[in-house]
Amino acid sequence: MSRYAVNSLLYRLKKDEAFRARFLEDANAALAGADLTEAERAAFVAHDMRKLNELGGYLHLVMSIPGLARH
Amino acid sequence: MGRIVFAGAMSHVLDPDYYERACGAVGRKTVIDIMGEIGRMGERLSARKPDALIVVADDHLNAFSFNCVPAMCVRIGRSVQRMTQDHAEAFDKVLDHMPTEYPLHEALANAILEQGLQSGFDLALSWEAPVDHAFLSPVNTLHGARTIPPLVPIFVNAFVAPQPTARRCFAFGQHIARVVARSPWNVGIIATGGLSHFPELSLPRVGETDTVFDKRLIHWMEIGEHAPLQELTADELHKTGSHEFLNWMVLLGAVTPARAQVRYFGELARINMAAVEWTLA
Repeated sequence: MSRYAVNSLLYRLKKDEAFRARFLEDANAALAGADLTEAERAAFVAHDMRKLNELGGYLHLVMSIPGLARH
Repeated sequence: MGRIVFAGAMSHVLDPDYYERACGAVGRKTVIDIMGEIGRMGERLSARKPDALIVVADDHLNAFSFNCVPAMCVRIGRSVQRMTQDHAEAFDKVLDHMPTEYPLHEALANAILEQGLQSGFDLALSWEAPVDHAFLSPVNTLHGARTIPPLVPIFVNAFVAPQPTARRCFAFGQHIARVVARSPWNVGIIATGGLSHFPELSLPRVGETDTVFDKRLIHWMEIGEHAPLQELTADELHKTGSHEFLNWMVLLGAVTPARAQVRYFGELARINMAAVEWTLA
């Protein structure tokens, strides 16, 4: 798994409001070029925070991204 | 000669609304009760008129992200800012009503940092790292409307493996005690976080705690038996959801062999809430 890629994207989704808006508008387009496995990309596109946590995403990030958090 | 005049440790999401959402009415009541106890601890802290308040806490991937995650970092400079988050959720929302800037005790922070490096602690330093709920929720609950003394925020990496060891955190606390003793200041110290919650940092396990483990930690702190606490492993802390006890280990090193008095312990499905104060000589 690519923990860095997953977590840096989660962090960006939390802290970069404009990126978050692009992601919510079109996740596939926002993630183009990101170094993700198929499973990671699918989890992001599905907004599946539980899966992203299982794939190595830090708990405090998946619990606190505005509009996407699972808690 | 300076001295530590107050030492306390407490859970650090102190927000009735958050716990009502997470745990219902019992969550609200529990956090209101612990906040009352922490408020009374704060009255005793303020009565001792500390020149500075050291706050040992962890970052939740807010100040430090993936450019650098220091094992231990001393926040230096003249002031520190509250972490900002647009449309804050969950524990980030706790910060919304709090002041945005806090004065720092620059000389004490520099002394801990400089003397630390001279003593073999390869500490990181930051002039810019903001502080999140782990620092500010306890600080504001302790002080209420009273003036907050100049802070010395110290970050411990509790979450991003590999973390510093419990033993190393304890030794760093002993270093802090030596620096304070050589200084002219009366200093308060708090450690925040815990107790058991979010075992293995796994979303499906949010809602589990390990009360047996917490009671063991508390027993050792109450009798001033700090050797077994230094033996705690990263694996034990991870499995029991006790990652943030590393912050408490720093405080224990600073006050050892003082004994703890439990001011509050309350079990919630999501977390065991605790507030503890040390009896200092």
